[in-house]
Amino acid sequence: MKLLLVQITRNRQGQAARAEQTLEIDVLRVGRGSDCKLHLADPRVALHHATIGRASDGVCFVEAATGTIKINGQFERVARLRPGQAISVGPFELIVQEPPEGYDLALSFELLEALPQEIASGRRKLRASLRNTWLSKRLMSWFGAVLVLAAFLVWPVMHALNPAGPLPGRVTPAGVTITADAAWDPGPLASGHHSFGRDCAKCHATPFVQAKNEQCESCHPSIGWHFARDSKEKKALHEAVFMQSDNAARCASCHRDHKGPLGLVRQDSPLCTQCHADLKSRHAQTQLPDIGDFARDHPAFKLSMLVPGKTGPEAIVRVAQGGPKLAESANLKFPHDVHLSSKGVRGPNGRVVMECRNCHIPDETGTRFKPTTMKDHCQACHSLEFEPRAGNRQVPHGNVDDVIATVREFYAQAVLADTPIDVVVQDGIRPPGERLSATQRQSALNWATQKADKITRELMEDRVCFSCHQITRADAADSAAPASAGAWKIAPIAVTQHWLPKARFPHNQHATHECGSCHKVAQSKSSSDIAIPDIKNCRECHGGNATAADKAPGTCETCHGFHVGGARSGTPVPLPGTTPGGLPYDPKDSKDPRQKAVQKVVSTP
Amino acid sequence: MQHRTFLEYRRYRYLKIALLLVIASIVAYSIHSSPVGRYGGSPVGYVLGSIAAALIVALMWLGVQKRRYRANVGGLRGWVSAHVYLGTSLIVIATLHAGFQIGWNVHTLAYALMIMVIVSGFFGVYAYLRFPSLMTENMGEDTRDGLILKIADLDRELRRVALSLPDEFVKIVEASVRDTRIGGSVLTQLSRRPANCPTQRAVAFINAAGKTLKGEAQQQNHALYALMLRKQKLVKRARDDVRFKALLDLWLYAHVPLSFALLGALLAHIVAVFFYW
Repeated sequence: MKLLLVQITRNRQGQAARAEQTLEIDVLRVGRGSDCKLHLADPRVALHHATIGRASDGVCFVEAATGTIKINGQFERVARLRPGQAISVGPFELIVQEPPEGYDLALSFELLEALPQEIASGRRKLRASLRNTWLSKRLMSWFGAVLVLAAFLVWPVMHALNPAGPLPGRVTPAGVTITADAAWDPGPLASGHHSFGRDCAKCHATPFVQAKNEQCESCHPSIGWHFARDSKEKKALHEAVFMQSDNAARCASCHRDHKGPLGLVRQDSPLCTQCHADLKSRHAQTQLPDIGDFARDHPAFKLSMLVPGKTGPEAIVRVAQGGPKLAESANLKFPHDVHLSSKGVRGPNGRVVMECRNCHIPDETGTRFKPTTMKDHCQACHSLEFEPRAGNRQVPHGNVDDVIATVREFYAQAVLADTPIDVVVQDGIRPPGERLSATQRQSALNWATQKADKITRELMEDRVCFSCHQITRADAADSAAPASAGAWKIAPIAVTQHWLPKARFPHNQHATHECGSCHKVAQSKSSSDIAIPDIKNCRECHGGNATAADKAPGTCETCHGFHVGGARSGTPVPLPGTTPGGLPYDPKDSKDPRQKAVQKVVSTP
Repeated sequence: MQHRTFLEYRRYRYLKIALLLVIASIVAYSIHSSPVGRYGGSPVGYVLGSIAAALIVALMWLGVQKRRYRANVGGLRGWVSAHVYLGTSLIVIATLHAGFQIGWNVHTLAYALMIMVIVSGFFGVYAYLRFPSLMTENMGEDTRDGLILKIADLDRELRRVALSLPDEFVKIVEASVRDTRIGGSVLTQLSRRPANCPTQRAVAFINAAGKTLKGEAQQQNHALYALMLRKQKLVKRARDDVRFKALLDLWLYAHVPLSFALLGALLAHIVAVFFYW
């Protein structure tokens, strides 16, 4: 196709100037794109606006690239080109001219509407971007950052550094009190620390310094360390183990607060096993065994056994279970099997089937038991009567002299007063109402004394006292001599009150189990039998450090404590006047090394 | 070859790095448990917290980086890719750092702001993947300025045609010419169809009122109606373009200010933790 293109431009006076161009092409693309031969550089023209071509039959046509194109005021998609037709392409007008000789087509084009000045120069303003609205990233960023920093950094820091400064410590909008550092609180305090309220400085005394032990000790002065520092060696050991670095000795390295009401006490074994699994590497001279996991590496329990006849530290020896059968020397005749017989035992009101709790009564804490006493637990059945015909008279319990005096007094009273007892008097039957002569009185008293001593011997060697106590006749004593306290040796009762004083076993938490499931006493014929269960018994229910699906927890903390002497430590709080081993203890004996420990324990709140 | 987005940058290099980081965090969190549970102040908590804080600062560096002419560290696309993937990984890292503990405090404020920043960033990713293609589809070969010029041309034509019609036609056409707005306030830019558009009213009026005309006037009205419909179409396209652009930008007005609020809260969080150590 041979084509004549005529560009018409006009000067200010409107005079036209023509620029001609001849093209030999198959199709003429019209548009503002650079690939268009008829290049109309104006934003109002499409990139490819239309195509002008010549069909095989010689007819020239125009076709809109997309949609329609305006030809002589009509919108057409395709149109045949005839001379005189005006085609609008944006602001341009194309006019089909009569083609000169040798040409297939002639087109003139002219820009009718020049680009408005404000657009051509790029000065036109359109609010077509969020940037042109009130929104401002910069302003909003400043606002957010400054607000957050002011409320959560500047206010608390300024107030903490200078409480008397111009910034208030608390504001109360709408009745809600907000303190300066309230928003810093990372979590709820342990229940006991709630009383601090919002006084953060109670623990956090110095900015950027971790809470110190002094803060803890100001309220908890009597908390003990892990072991007593009562010798030079132990003091050195304490330094070596716990004071290696500042952090190691911090209370807060174990006791982390702001972890809710239960978060303050560590319940994990690694606290202990990090040292105790290989204790010799830390302290070569230690006598303590290595202990790792309760389920695997815990040694057999050691029982605190009373040593008969000893006092002081030697009164208790620690003996491991699992060796030769252990026997307690309690000096008490007490067969559990008789008392727990399913047929019952004879009581003052007939047969009674006894249970463990008849004698073993939980103490106030529910964890352990009150001591079993003659008065409260035995005497109801084991009456201390000595004369069947005077059933309401009993000898006192505890002192042989008192027993002798009571029995003598009884029989003397019987012969001297007008009692129904058929006293055999040497001089024959005494008539009623007749007063005894001096000789008769002496004779009656002699008889009463002999009778009383006979009865006392019976009590000590045959029945009543003898039925429970280990009583032997003193070697020198003559059976015919008048009764005296020195005539018999009563072995002192030494019933162990705490077999496992280094662990705690809360009986109340195990109340769902039968006593006999751990304490095998139903067949026990002697008080020398020890019914404290061994570690296997505990392991039936308790696992080790790792949580097991079918086991109760068995971490170190389950039974033991860290702080010696603390209320939660493994050392029990003894009753006043007793030692941890249960021996009588004289608080006035300042030489007794246990005194200090006991006083400390008792004074612990 | 298919066009590669920033998400696929270097065969998902930053997705892999982010996944590694997340897996390492989860493993560390699972293996290590401090005596009083898992929380920000445990050894692993400190490590995760340091990583998270470093990531937040590094990712905000994108804002600086993108304004630099010589953004040659992996190119801007690499930065955006890292920004998106590592930013997303923060959800896991920071949650594990906190040990799933929340409360009414500056610590959770920082966490919440971070989550809001990330979620707004997700909308940004969506916007960058969706709106540019919608805009191209909408504009075709035109430009927005081209559309405005075309509308201006149509306006002249409309005025001319309306001259031979009754006064009310001239008035409504004049209103369309003078008062049709492209863009405007935030809400106008974002709305699909601005309320009370004069061109919209003109289309409805010419359509309805044209039925009462006869003869030559009816033909003129027909032409006017066709022109007004064209204008309406162009106006809609121009407005859609503005709307898509606004949607493309809008998330940044949440993302950027929230990021700076987060930076403030992060600073307050760190100072608070060590001030009351």
